[in-house]
Amino acid sequence: MILKNNLKEVRQKKGLTQEELGTNVGVSRQTIISIERYRYKPTLELAMKIAQNLNIKIEKLFYFVE
Amino acid sequence: MSLSKKEVSILIEVIYSIVFALIFLPYFFENQEKNLFLMDGLIEKIIQITIGSVIYFSIAYTILEITFKKKEARDERDDMINSKSYKLGYLLYEFSLFIFIGYIYTKFQNKELLNLTGNKELYNSFQLTDGGIVFFILVLLAFTSIIKSLYQFYLYRTV
Repeated sequence: MILKNNLKEVRQKKGLTQEELGTNVGVSRQTIISIERYRYKPTLELAMKIAQNLNIKIEKLFYFVE
Repeated sequence: MSLSKKEVSILIEVIYSIVFALIFLPYFFENQEKNLFLMDGLIEKIIQITIGSVIYFSIAYTILEITFKKKEARDERDDMINSKSYKLGYLLYEFSLFIFIGYIYTKFQNKELLNLTGNKELYNSFQLTDGGIVFFILVLLAFTSIIKSLYQFYLYRTV
């Protein structure tokens, strides 16, 4: 199972830049880019912070694919 | 290829290690048969290394700070990359120590064997000197540092 996410789409819908989202959750722009490209799997703490910041349920943002 | 501030900072370290190896290691290579007290200009070389390093890092980091004015936050991805690269560095360092012990052991063993042949010239060439040990340690440190930093750079580009 591969962990994927809708981060890019949700972030763009909310009108946030990678830089802004990164600042809001206390990480760098590079980290947001890596998560969006599925290169980096965030810790549960960061995933929850991102979901909270985008006002979306964590399971809607991050999901597994076979 | 655009580089982030952290990536440039790693490249500064890699360049320093390569420049250090190219400029200063030949001196220790030439003097590896001597004892530390008999090395010509050792104090001057140490002063040169210290002053050179201070000047290099001051200039490099000043340019870095001017070029990338924005401060980058250190986050969990940095911690993950650092822990992976330092783990590799630590493994290489342990492996280097293993090689170093083997090197010393071989020197001693060959020395004893050569002593039996009575060939004094060959026997003396197998003497373990301070210069030889210092050279060997510096080579291992430069090698470990370069590999660790290059791996860190690779992780920043791919993770």
